[in-house]
Amino acid sequence: MRPEVNAAAAELAGEIDRQTSMDNHLDPTPLGPNAPVGELLLAETAIRIELPPSLHRLAVQRYEAVHKHIERPDSPLCDKVRIFYPQGSMAIRATILSRKRADGFDIDIIAELILSQSTTPAVVLDLLFEAINGPPGSQYHGKVERQTRCVTVYYADGMHLDITPTLLLTELDPRLSHLFHAKKEEPVSTHVRLPMNSYAFCEWVNAMSPIDLIFSEAYRRRVLALDAHNMRADADVKPVPAHASTEGGKAAKIVALQLLKRNRNLKYERRKIRLPPSVMLAKFAAETVTLGTNISQALDAISLKILEALEAAERSDALVDVRNPRCDVERFTDRWPDDRNAQRLYIGDLRLFRTQLAKLMSAGFSLAEKRDLLVEMFGVGPAQSAVDDYVTRIGHAVETGKRLVAPSGRVIPATVAASGSLASRAYSQPRGHTFFGSRWPGE
Amino acid sequence: MKSVRQQIEAMRRHWPNFEVAAFGNDHALWFGALAGVELQYRIMIQFGLPDPRRMDNCQWRRFPLVRVLSPSLRPNWDAKDEAPLPHVYFENTDISLSPLCLFDPCKREWSHADLIAKTTVPWAADWLACYEGWRATGRWTGGGRHAETNSEGKE
Repeated sequence: MRPEVNAAAAELAGEIDRQTSMDNHLDPTPLGPNAPVGELLLAETAIRIELPPSLHRLAVQRYEAVHKHIERPDSPLCDKVRIFYPQGSMAIRATILSRKRADGFDIDIIAELILSQSTTPAVVLDLLFEAINGPPGSQYHGKVERQTRCVTVYYADGMHLDITPTLLLTELDPRLSHLFHAKKEEPVSTHVRLPMNSYAFCEWVNAMSPIDLIFSEAYRRRVLALDAHNMRADADVKPVPAHASTEGGKAAKIVALQLLKRNRNLKYERRKIRLPPSVMLAKFAAETVTLGTNISQALDAISLKILEALEAAERSDALVDVRNPRCDVERFTDRWPDDRNAQRLYIGDLRLFRTQLAKLMSAGFSLAEKRDLLVEMFGVGPAQSAVDDYVTRIGHAVETGKRLVAPSGRVIPATVAASGSLASRAYSQPRGHTFFGSRWPGE
Repeated sequence: MKSVRQQIEAMRRHWPNFEVAAFGNDHALWFGALAGVELQYRIMIQFGLPDPRRMDNCQWRRFPLVRVLSPSLRPNWDAKDEAPLPHVYFENTDISLSPLCLFDPCKREWSHADLIAKTTVPWAADWLACYEGWRATGRWTGGGRHAETNSEGKE
């Protein structure tokens, strides 16, 4: 970790410690009942924007079904799929609500095809489109769209699969491939092959994002609680990674990455311009060394790292150049930033984000002010819902007398875990009482 | 009945953030900082022993009176619940200084045999936590009830 990043993380950590020092040293448990309120609200917001376990299972079923469909006997790609594997956010467990549809999720898949290296980009993309779209009346017909680099399958519930066709470059470097860029309305001369190794990149991100078991377990419990509440509804397949709640768990920096992506999506919702690529954010997140136990510190450190890279490019009168650490010829920033204005725009967003984050983590702001900040940072739906749940939990704990009161006065629900870890220390559990009072005259 | 000295001693032990600003044999006044969620509020607690010679002891001699000094309580006239302020004894002179209603007198949840440090102060913290939630959502989630008549609760 670079010293200035270290310093910033330490500064934020120090700030949080100072603000809650009266209570916090008593309970260092990540996402524990006495964690800073901002940290709890960040976790609850992240849970509301990420792919929940129930939809993860659905995504896996759909992913497998599409793969089988592409390889059906009458498909133009029958026996031509070498490997079908999740990439991007799905592979690093950072899938969040779609930017385009508030109720949907984008699932990124790679279909590594067995085709001649001379096949043109447009033909590769068209072939995949035909294979998935199928004949009229077939399963996906009319629900498929050929994009510039991938083929999208749409589902009525808002989920969609982005399937990117690739060709392996060499057997000696598995998964080093070409992806294809061919915008339909542009001349063939602009169509290109681009080197990529998404597989190695995702493996690198996962290796760089170690799991803190206590954080991961605390986060998992929250994920499962909300999912239970909200429940709605064969070649060489690389299984989609199990949902973080059932296998391996999730690192705080990946949760932070999800929140940063959500903030970016919100900022660019009305701008109608290309947005900073998720893969670039993921690369910076993976490189950032942070405590594995703290979402806010991870957010602070990652946003600072990105900001510093963009500002350094600005100072050099250049555009930021970010590459795949496992495939140097793969440029993550080949389509963004378009120009210096685009770069400066995101620099401004990040500066604002960091200011808002510092306020969210400060004890000098009320819950109502933190709600407003959370809404500005991540949107009204998840933010208000996270605050509503927090308020309901606190109120219920007070009404039933099942709460602990910290030396500062902070009230926390007396869950079994909290009672066990805190009750014997400076926290008190006063007896219950009933709020009373007069009605406002005229009511 | 707990003496003023006992109350002051318990407050000093349990809530060192509170300062006793004035006291006598039958009364005490504290100022201190208290959080419900995270934000610290400066509050005032006025307390007195009942005067046996009087039938109509003033409110602060019947039970400890808690007022929030800063940041000032902010009425919300549009709140779904408890507009314009939740669970207070409304004071017409300055609504934001209305004393908090922390217990139900009819249930005899508080008496002068109780220590303020173990009842009134943590109950005020409960109130502040619920007040913050009410400010953020317009909902009062801490339960409670209201006096049905003007005389109820006035003992």
